Amino acid sequence: MSQSLAPECNELKERYDTCFLKWYSEKYLRGISTSDNNECATMFKEYNVCLKRALKERGIDKLLDEAREDFKENDATLLGKKKCK
Amino acid sequence: MVLTHTTNHTYAHPFPTVTLAFFLRYCSPQLNPFASHVLSTDTIDSHIDPSTGRLHTTRIHLKKSRMPPAVMKLLPTTLTGGTTSQASYILETSVVDMREGWMSTESRNLNFVGVLSVVERQMYSIPKTKTLDNTEVETKVVFKSRLGERLRDKLSHQNLSATAQEGGFFARLGARGIQRSIETLASTKTQDQLGKSREGMKMILERLRQTGIIGVLELRRAARERSMSA
Repeated sequence: MSQSLAPECNELKERYDTCFLKWYSEKYLRGISTSDNNECATMFKEYNVCLKRALKERGIDKLLDEAREDFKENDATLLGKKKCK
Repeated sequence: MVLTHTTNHTYAHPFPTVTLAFFLRYCSPQLNPFASHVLSTDTIDSHIDPSTGRLHTTRIHLKKSRMPPAVMKLLPTTLTGGTTSQASYILETSVVDMREGWMSTESRNLNFVGVLSVVERQMYSIPKTKTLDNTEVETKVVFKSRLGERLRDKLSHQNLSATAQEGGFFARLGARGIQRSIETLASTKTQDQLGKSREGMKMILERLRQTGIIGVLELRRAARERSMSA
């Protein structure tokens, strides 16, 4: 994968990405593991702690919150009801 | 003001491979030279809904500004911060349902939303004819410029009627005209970009066909090591 937005999280991200892609292609796509993806959970947790800190430092967490507010309004007015399949 | 753009495309690859290529599409430039504008990719959430077996993923990408320079030039520096080449954060959410054979994705910009919001939705699915070697995708992009709304809010809050009378930036050009120009410019740029993003997907699909996922992972690792030792 490309880099993480936070260089200090690169290594953790790389480990998680590799785990995810393997799990996805070898298990999920083959219908072997369709109820959980626990095997990458520990790696995700470590990566997520690092990433969350970085998002906060860069103010991206606020952008995310604002966007979530905005989605509700936009989705309701211009995109109609979300496609439920 | 809203502008919508819809396109359909069929990939000559099976559905599972196409969904994998979707997750891989911003990996290394060696795999996808059409993704050189993507500076970073991070996963902020990934979980399976136990009741449906669907995989929900949320990622955040940092891309060199998708905002065309022409749009940036149209805007007053109070909105752009005086720069014409900023990077923008894109929030991508996706849902994969392997049992039913579809993947829906959505990408939207996180910054510059006050100027232009671009929402791209894609629905990947196995063709109705059950041709399992192919995957269909419908892409729908919605452009919305909220410039005028923002200005109206500002005016009502700060009572800047004097500015309007003197014929400020927006009064001269007309907020509606600007909104439309921004949407049209962004739309033209996006049509161009959609072609490139399809080319990128095809390159990854071709690589997966040749070497499989292990080959791709290996290539990724090698490229990474090269870039670190360089």
